[in-house]
Amino acid sequence: MKMTPAFVIVGALLVFWASAFIIVGIPSLTMKETPSEIWRPLTPLEARGHRLYVENGCSYCHSQFIRVIDWGIGAERIAKAGDYVGIEPAILGSERTGPDLSQEGGEHSDDWNRAHFLDPRNTTPISLMPAWDFLSDGEIEALMAYVQGLGGKAADLRVKRQRDWKRQAVAAYAAGVDANIEWLHGQVPEVWRRMPNPYPATEAALQRGKRIYQQLCINCHSPIGDGNGPAQPHLSPPPLNFTILRRHLVENRYIGGIFYYQIMNGITGTAMPYFKKHLESEKIWDLANYLAVSFVGYTDANTDPRGIDASYEGGWVNRYLPPAVTPGR
Amino acid sequence: MTNLFRKPQSASLAFMVAGAVWFVVGAVYGMFSAIHLVAPEFLPHVAPLVFGRERPVHVNTMLYGFVGTMLTGIGLHYVPALLKTRLWSEPLGWVTFLFWNLTVLSGPLGFAFGFTQGREYNEYVWLADVSLVVAVLCMIVNVTLTIMHRREPQLYVSIWYFVATFLWTACNYPLGNVMWHPATGAMPGLIDSIFLWFWGHNLPGLLITPLATGAAYYVIPRVAKTPLNSHTLSLLGFWLLIALYSHIGGHHVLQSPIPSWLKTISVVDSISMVLPVSIVVINLWLTARFVGGRVWSDPSARLVMAGVVWYIVTCIQGPLQSLPFLQRVTHFNNWTVGHAHIAMLGFGGYIALGAMWHTLPLVSGRPVYSQRLINLQFGLITFGLTGFFIVLTMAGLVQGTAWYNGETVVRVLPQLIPFMAMRAALGVFILSASIVGLFNVYMTLRGAKEPEALRRLEEAT
Repeated sequence: MKMTPAFVIVGALLVFWASAFIIVGIPSLTMKETPSEIWRPLTPLEARGHRLYVENGCSYCHSQFIRVIDWGIGAERIAKAGDYVGIEPAILGSERTGPDLSQEGGEHSDDWNRAHFLDPRNTTPISLMPAWDFLSDGEIEALMAYVQGLGGKAADLRVKRQRDWKRQAVAAYAAGVDANIEWLHGQVPEVWRRMPNPYPATEAALQRGKRIYQQLCINCHSPIGDGNGPAQPHLSPPPLNFTILRRHLVENRYIGGIFYYQIMNGITGTAMPYFKKHLESEKIWDLANYLAVSFVGYTDANTDPRGIDASYEGGWVNRYLPPAVTPGR
Repeated sequence: MTNLFRKPQSASLAFMVAGAVWFVVGAVYGMFSAIHLVAPEFLPHVAPLVFGRERPVHVNTMLYGFVGTMLTGIGLHYVPALLKTRLWSEPLGWVTFLFWNLTVLSGPLGFAFGFTQGREYNEYVWLADVSLVVAVLCMIVNVTLTIMHRREPQLYVSIWYFVATFLWTACNYPLGNVMWHPATGAMPGLIDSIFLWFWGHNLPGLLITPLATGAAYYVIPRVAKTPLNSHTLSLLGFWLLIALYSHIGGHHVLQSPIPSWLKTISVVDSISMVLPVSIVVINLWLTARFVGGRVWSDPSARLVMAGVVWYIVTCIQGPLQSLPFLQRVTHFNNWTVGHAHIAMLGFGGYIALGAMWHTLPLVSGRPVYSQRLINLQFGLITFGLTGFFIVLTMAGLVQGTAWYNGETVVRVLPQLIPFMAMRAALGVFILSASIVGLFNVYMTLRGAKEPEALRRLEEAT
């Protein structure tokens, strides 16, 4: 085959356009823009937030499609073609240095998002995300509106739930610290309010709990558990001061099950997210023991009711039981 | 000044020097990005230096600025040289230089302040897109007319690649960048990901690959002092490249809801890419057979040959990771980042640097200031990049397998710290390599002209 100039030029272009027709031409002719069941158009503020998302390169760390193999936040809803109608550009992303955001809307409260944008380590101490505090307040609000709208109609339901519960949580906090705790405990199902921590609070377990506390909790609840971490000024109601729980013993003990339930499910409406996708059973119970021992002073670990101890648990004696008379009451 | 723009080979030299400068700029931004993945609060509150803005500067400056620019400069030398003529118009070469580099410059100047279209590898804003297309069109005119005025009847394989690169880019770039939508540079909806990855993969595939292949085809036989092994293999490699490469962008969105037939084509043609790549590599290796010592003992040809090795590594890994089964753990994480680095810096960058060191004396009439500094650059970059590849692949496997087994993205972050720290440390080697290279280029051009090199230059043109 003799490669003459005309042959090279015409041939190269012909093969290129034939290929291009298959790979972009046919999709352009056949792919239809049909909205999915959760799709809705962006509001003007959300559209502005989307521009900011694109211009600031959020897509280099956050993908926007859930795959069939995914776990974690949003994994309940696999991405569909109709989720992206009219978004220009709908950047699917190629990296997950941070979590997928396609279903992020309403996963966290507005306060959480604001604190997170100003400094991601406010809410997630191990985050690698840059702080966006150089953006104007208006820009942060636009970004928040966009993120809270990710997931379309499904996100709207979640956001509504967040805002409804926020009203109640703020009212409870306004009623005073002890009333607030009564309200918080009232939201925990009865079975959990009687359940002692089934894991022994051994030194090793407390160390594990401490590590989780430092990775996920410390910048809201603070190193001494008084709720005055760096995120506190941005949050309403503010993070819980664990030390107050000493005044709320039930039957002379503080219940591990309450901690477990609230770490697991979070407190929707407040900045307290759920951790049930991040942490499994032992990690949450270890964390609950760490909170109880460090900030309340007591834990009900391994107290009755209890069944057969796991094989490694025999012989552990709970040194963190309260004295017979409850202090302060 | 007008004399400068008419001086034979001046545009070629300008492209090569610019490439060496962009390498340093790109490496600095890469360094900052790497540090930010270990220490997100390094240089806080500096808006132009947040990860989301510095990463596109790094990527685009390396792709278009370093590798693309340097390889173009090399082509501007070998095209007239292989045709036994001069570039049709040196001033037009400079116009190309101006518009091409304006586009590259719009990266650090624009992205840092949010002027970006935000689509990976398609980030340049519309005006910069126009500037790049103008540069490409000027190049097509210049090269075509150079071919018309040739004094050598046969077109050597490097010429095919060089001409075709710019023909393809002139069609490819406006299409993938959706230039008929100037405001966003994007199509609405999911189909945008198909346009985006059409150019996203054709950028390495149909811009960098043919340029680098052309340069390797130029340097290896010259240094080996043997004719090219096989014309037939050259033909096969060339036509299979264009027939297959443009189909494979879909493997970047394989797990997304794009049409299944498109995924199938992407995977099948990705696997088929092993063919043209092996053919090119085998052709080059067989050319250097029995005279490997000659190639390996020449510091610039060693870089080119090592680039060819990275090429085969990249293009065996690439097809494999397009397989849906493997992508379950390799997609969305640092595995891909490792792959991107051996492709662009390993394959494209090594060949660009090696061919640049080979061509620089032919263009400037001055011997390279220091062969030992080329060796130093080779050592630094090889240590840095090999380390990168290992560390990032490991990090990717940690992320991918953890996610696949149910760990959340946030929980895996602490596990990445040692890998990201090593990656930043290895980045220092690559940054140093870029600085050593720029210093060597500077000292070469400052040095005295050598009659011997001048004579070779005359022979070449």
